[in-house]
Amino acid sequence: MSDALPLRPFVIEALTDLGATVSEGDSLVWVQAPESVHRNLEVAPSFALAFDPERSREFEAELVAPGSYFLERLVSVVARRGQWDVSQCTVTGKEWISEALRESGLGPDTADFSLVDGIEDEILLLFAFRVTLVSDEKRESFHLVAVSLVDGSTWPVDPDRADARLFPHPSPGIRPDLETGYRLATESLRTMTSVDIERFRTRSLGLLEEEVRRIFGYFDRTIDGLRESEPGGSQDLLRAVMAERDRRLTEAVERFDPKASGSLCSIRAILVPTARLQLEFPDGTKTESRLDAWSGRLRGLVCSVCGGTAGPWRPSSPDGLRCATCASKPAESARPRGRPRSDTPRRGMQVGEASARSPGGSKARSRGASEGHRHP
Amino acid sequence: MSLPAREPPPSADASLTLRFDDSDRDVLARAFRTPGEGSPAWRLNGEAHRISLVDGFDRLLAWPVLQGVTRYDHQERTALRVLRDMRGRAILADEVGLGKTIEAGLVLKEYAVRGLVHRALVLTPAALTEQWREEMETKFSLPFAVLRSVRDWDRKPFLIASMDTAKREPHRGAAQARPWDLIIVDEAHRLKNRFSLNWRFVAGLSKKYMLLLTATPVQNDMDELFNLVTLLKPGQLHTYDRFLERYVASPDRRVPMRVSELRGLLRDVMVRNRRGIAFTLPPRRVHSLAVRLSPAERRLYDDVTEFVRDAYWSASGRLPWTARLTLIVLQREIGSSTFAVAETLRRLAQSPLFRLDERERLEELRQDAAAISSNAKAARLRAFLKSVDEKVLIFTQYLRTLEYLRGVLEADGHRVAAYHGGLSPAAKDAAVRTFRADGEIFLSTEAGGEGRNLQFARTVVNYDLPWNPLRIEQRIGRVHRLGQEREVHVVNVWAEDTVEANLMELLDRKIHMFELVVGELDLILGNLDERRSFEDLMMDIWVLRQAEERRSALRRLGDSLIRARAQYEQVKETNDAVLGDTGEAVSA
Repeated sequence: MSDALPLRPFVIEALTDLGATVSEGDSLVWVQAPESVHRNLEVAPSFALAFDPERSREFEAELVAPGSYFLERLVSVVARRGQWDVSQCTVTGKEWISEALRESGLGPDTADFSLVDGIEDEILLLFAFRVTLVSDEKRESFHLVAVSLVDGSTWPVDPDRADARLFPHPSPGIRPDLETGYRLATESLRTMTSVDIERFRTRSLGLLEEEVRRIFGYFDRTIDGLRESEPGGSQDLLRAVMAERDRRLTEAVERFDPKASGSLCSIRAILVPTARLQLEFPDGTKTESRLDAWSGRLRGLVCSVCGGTAGPWRPSSPDGLRCATCASKPAESARPRGRPRSDTPRRGMQVGEASARSPGGSKARSRGASEGHRHP
Repeated sequence: MSLPAREPPPSADASLTLRFDDSDRDVLARAFRTPGEGSPAWRLNGEAHRISLVDGFDRLLAWPVLQGVTRYDHQERTALRVLRDMRGRAILADEVGLGKTIEAGLVLKEYAVRGLVHRALVLTPAALTEQWREEMETKFSLPFAVLRSVRDWDRKPFLIASMDTAKREPHRGAAQARPWDLIIVDEAHRLKNRFSLNWRFVAGLSKKYMLLLTATPVQNDMDELFNLVTLLKPGQLHTYDRFLERYVASPDRRVPMRVSELRGLLRDVMVRNRRGIAFTLPPRRVHSLAVRLSPAERRLYDDVTEFVRDAYWSASGRLPWTARLTLIVLQREIGSSTFAVAETLRRLAQSPLFRLDERERLEELRQDAAAISSNAKAARLRAFLKSVDEKVLIFTQYLRTLEYLRGVLEADGHRVAAYHGGLSPAAKDAAVRTFRADGEIFLSTEAGGEGRNLQFARTVVNYDLPWNPLRIEQRIGRVHRLGQEREVHVVNVWAEDTVEANLMELLDRKIHMFELVVGELDLILGNLDERRSFEDLMMDIWVLRQAEERRSALRRLGDSLIRARAQYEQVKETNDAVLGDTGEAVSA
């Protein structure tokens, strides 16, 4: 059970959203729940909740705490709801574009100018996943992965910011390509979690190896001892010892065998205005990018050192575009130019951020065909 | 290395791939085909998942949901050490009274909360199965069932079985055919011999985690320690020959060598917390209030006893099990009060378990009981209470005795808080609060008291004596526990020439039970070479017809108890010498 979120607001809001009437007292919370809800939660139609174990005996209140039966039931009920949602992000004017560029480090002093090719509505998909690593212990994490079906880019989203600037959208007619989105999201999640998964695997296999070595050491020496002490001794005894060894080894393998699984918790479709941009940097290079009003993320830019796509950015001649992390590193630590980008995410950058689109922008695009927007 | 494998073993070369649930397809198939439940529901879905995430064993999650469990640091540290460092395979070897059962329950609960244990088996001596079930249910909300039939191995994911039953067919095969996430073996010193059926049975169980509970891993010689550790982690103490050569002084196998090195190896698999000075409890003082029954009570007691003996040795052959139990209940109730026995006599007088002539005798006994309104034990108790000016806990086994006592004590002007199994949890809370605030007497039928702390009082009156000594100890444990700073008084009210008088002879005079530390009695009774429960032994003696036969059987049992206590003392010394500080000294 995680400490990531406080329990009380979650429980109260969840019950209210389920249709229950909730009134808060000093130490107890009183709940009146409709039939479907109290049946699913396995409680009486009216009941009290206690968040302090000391108070849970009063009025036979249901205790809400990690591991409590009521919380387990509520989590299970809530997790079966809200598996999809449509929201929209609305903006007025174009100020958000220059603001987002500034926040990305591409303000007027760094990017020579940017042209807005056009602004269009795009559907971003936000996939929520729960990742579980199990051997003889369990480690879980929660991830949000945003997917653009237009350019195939994916990026992680902070769960605490998943609601920012979004409003409910009446969703009739929204049928995004979930298959493609899911495929891109799961590929991205694999990359995002690869370091943690590898660390978990290495540790589990290390423990297994230690266990296997000990078991072999014990049983093989025991067998040797039996053979030495009684060269013509019972073969049945030796076979029994070997069988016991094999059984113990199987048990060890089953115990430490690491497994990694992900499960889709929910999907959100976000209707968001997205600008097509052409950026020109001080060294004269030009590139195309997409910028949506919700995430403020410039898509299509790639760090010339680490290959990351997250930004913020530090364009500097003659080295080209760099992310802020690489730009702050001493030159010798940077990857020599010309060497292929590594697929391994670097420490300090958001892993799994990749674009299916070519990082290089087209210089052939007619500027006249675009709606020009020069920085002031 | 060739691993025997039911499924392909993990390879050090292969990478671990994140696999996605098939259930994802269901979400994809349903999504956006109908309107969702709204943005708040979507956000709450994410919060529900985030709240229920599990991340290793950085802390214990289950404390807040445990009922009536006092939080002690040494238990928390032990549970975390078992979960994190020992990875769920450990010998819990605390000195008696430091809460091995709680530590095991904590570990189990933490695994269950994290979804790592779905099937668990507790193996105990037969006499402790019900106690384990009750404790797991009331304190840890774990739905354990006691093994009743061979089908239970399939049907009950949380099972408690007596070792003696489980190790024999058809149970043995059924138990070993299924993988267990966690196995707990209580009184694990019974696994001291690796050639025994017990040891081989446990070794043959397929398990992920295993906890072995014993205060005395070494009973006789060092072999036992080797066998116990090898069951848990073969190779931890090397091979048997190497262990003998390095850690056992030849020819005396009771004497360890290289003790410090040995303890180093044991620390990987064993936790042994010891009582520090601050954990030492104040002494107990025992007061015996012997009572001579009134002539009417004496006559009824003798008549009931005669009926019980006659029925027990009935000419019609062996009694059905239920009838035998009924007779035990009858004899226990008459030891409590005539009020307790009257209702049972009425029921039995109509029961087909007994013949017509027996039913007629039972009806006569009922009428005799109903005609008695005075109570010699109560009179003695009331006189005693006049000499006391502090809070007193009075325990009785029967509700009818409780109601009678409440009436007479309130009539005497005492402020009485009654506490029994028929009360709701809230009413029980209220009774404890009342007693604490301004009550004089806490009158209770529940020996365990569900782990409630009543150590603000220090006087316990046993108005009647349960035949199971562990129940008596539980009563005393309500006040004689951590936090008690004053001397504790245990007052036993008993009538002469009754089963209870025999109990006092054995428990008080022979083994000084009332002065033992909580938990020691378990081990002493465990040393008795008896397959039967203590209650059964008492009944066996009581139903003997000849007084001389009864006296000599009682003497034999007394001698066995004295030997059992001496054996326990010796084993305790050996364990202290061998194991020493594989844990920590516990202070308050």
